[in-house]
Amino acid sequence: MRMSIRLLFLLSLIVIFIPSKGLASENLQAIIDSADDGAVIQLENKTYEGNIVINKQIEIIGDKKTVIKGDGTGNVVSIRSPYVTIRNLTVTNSSLDRNSSEEYAAIKVYTDHNVIDSVIIKHFFHGIYLSQAHFNTVQNSEITGLGKGQIANQGNGLHVYYANDNILKNNVIEGTRDGMFFDYANRNQMNNNRISETRYGLHYMYSDHNAFEGNTFTFNTGGAAIMHSRGIKLENNQFIFNYGHKSFGLLLLSAIDTVIEENTFFLNQRGLYIDQSTNSLIKNNQIIKNQIGVELWASSNEQNFTLNTIDENTLPAVTLGGQGRNEWSVDQKGNNWGKTFPVLDLNQDGIGDQPISYQSSLYELIEDQELTYLFLKSPAVAVYEKLNQFFNKNETMFEDPFPLVKNDHPSIHWIWYVLASLLILTVISIKGRHQLCIIFGKNGRKT
Amino acid sequence: MHYIWKEWKENIKGKGLWLSFGIIILVSVGLLFKSFTLSFDQGFYVLLINLFDAFVYFLPLLCLFLGAFSIFQEKEQKTLIMLLTRRDSFTSFLFKKSLAVHSMLIVPIFLWFFVYLIPAKFFFQVDLKSYFAFLVSIICIIVVYTQIGLLIGSISRSRMQIVGFTIGIWFYFFFIHDFILMSFLPDISYENVKLFSAVYFLNPIQAARMFLESSLGVYSFDHMSKLLKSFMWLKPGVFLLANGSILLVVSFIIAIIFHRKEGSE
Repeated sequence: MRMSIRLLFLLSLIVIFIPSKGLASENLQAIIDSADDGAVIQLENKTYEGNIVINKQIEIIGDKKTVIKGDGTGNVVSIRSPYVTIRNLTVTNSSLDRNSSEEYAAIKVYTDHNVIDSVIIKHFFHGIYLSQAHFNTVQNSEITGLGKGQIANQGNGLHVYYANDNILKNNVIEGTRDGMFFDYANRNQMNNNRISETRYGLHYMYSDHNAFEGNTFTFNTGGAAIMHSRGIKLENNQFIFNYGHKSFGLLLLSAIDTVIEENTFFLNQRGLYIDQSTNSLIKNNQIIKNQIGVELWASSNEQNFTLNTIDENTLPAVTLGGQGRNEWSVDQKGNNWGKTFPVLDLNQDGIGDQPISYQSSLYELIEDQELTYLFLKSPAVAVYEKLNQFFNKNETMFEDPFPLVKNDHPSIHWIWYVLASLLILTVISIKGRHQLCIIFGKNGRKT
Repeated sequence: MHYIWKEWKENIKGKGLWLSFGIIILVSVGLLFKSFTLSFDQGFYVLLINLFDAFVYFLPLLCLFLGAFSIFQEKEQKTLIMLLTRRDSFTSFLFKKSLAVHSMLIVPIFLWFFVYLIPAKFFFQVDLKSYFAFLVSIICIIVVYTQIGLLIGSISRSRMQIVGFTIGIWFYFFFIHDFILMSFLPDISYENVKLFSAVYFLNPIQAARMFLESSLGVYSFDHMSKLLKSFMWLKPGVFLLANGSILLVVSFIIAIIFHRKEGSE
């Protein structure tokens, strides 16, 4: 009797304190509907048929091979309750219909305070769509689109629409139309996402006071396009290999009060492309090996460049359509132009003794003819510039009154290179050639 | 085969071939060292583009000289006269000689870049398809410029002529060709853009570069304007193939028509 009472007591404790864990069956929607708020549904390693609507505060956890597959007619997972968590599963097969009244997604979130974690998303129109949804977290997810050839037929990896205060971090997005699309979305944070092979890695419209940190944008037609937005902060991001015909690392169009700090712009067609924008601080960035380091249209004003390294670009900076009111130094600190403009610093205060003035004639061609970009990698550009300089056709592109001087000591690597070169050349010209002649030919000198 | 073996034996005695291989090896090793700091994912693509950018500065010049001196040596040593009197026509000689010179250059370079892949694999995520595209673009440049070099060797009568022609042709393809096209840029419209594009891609450096960058996936042809779509009326690979074929055939024919059997030195 005593034993039975103990057993009953133990069972009661289990019922009261351990959250209910739904056993997933074929009909996932039925499981969700029958679950209580706060339930944790552990899914098995199999494919569940969608589409599903989550309207309870539950947690759905999958396993390595758990898949929720939509029927291709709408959103695969619709989250209509706050405080939902989806973790560790694959969601696939949303509708790709472009003519419907609604834009469908693999996961569409309509509510606040949800977490989407470690989810793999495939075959969708939009990957994850936050629709008027706030304070959500999307993290550690992989969103793979249909690829570059299908960009026009699909939507965006992360679509953020009228959604504020969300955190998007550690996601990998590839092959979608735009990697992340923001429309009227404020105060969001994007950290450590990797976006590649999209049209625009980041596409930004009418969204204010968002922060981007540690993101990588590679192999996109355009790295990040920030349009009609205010108070955006970009810090420590990498814009690499956005290399198409008129591609750019970062586009600012009608952007106000943007802060761009400690980012890397490497091997882009245009590192920074700024048009109709006002009051940006561009500080401490590495703008290296782009075809055009900075393309600045005259409609932009109060762009402040300071402490940037702008080096090894085919054209360091061009101003098009006339001169705007822009500054190439702040607090008497300009930019480091490296080998592009060697400067003297006799008083060794780290600031060049003479201001730098860059003249170019190529701006006219760039303004008038888009095919000019095809020639930016050609050595003929240097000849063109020199010749026009001779005929006085150059215009001043910018003046940096306080260029920085970096005291680079030659790297030890180069000493090794030179030594290795000398050694190899010596071996080839003295010993190697002689030996090889003997080995390979009767005509070789044997003595 | 006999020609290839003969070419190989002759060239390993000379400094030109070793100097060329030495420079290629040094530049590629140097750039590999320099690329160690690049990221694992994208570093390989950066390395390939940097290699191509470095090679286009000196590879055409080396190939022009090697091709030209290879023919001129036959003239100097009177072996050309001997070969032609015995059994060969100049066309047959030039064809065999071209094959021999191309093999002598391409095979070791191909082998070197096969070896080069091993250290690259330790530091980067290697994409073999992209690497193959890189090799194709480099080999196209080598073949085209070597053939032009053979043309120079065929029509020249002295070493000074070879130096003059070589530098002239290198300068043309490196600077003048694009410079002339740039001066026509303001007049380019939809009506004449195809012709402009055909001439643009007649420069092997531009054709190979476009092929390489599009094959690596770094140069995107998505969202092109109407003008650019008209400009890219063929695929980059087809442009490169057409460029290579035209320049090879034209160089070969001119060499046959204007060749001189004897050098003055």
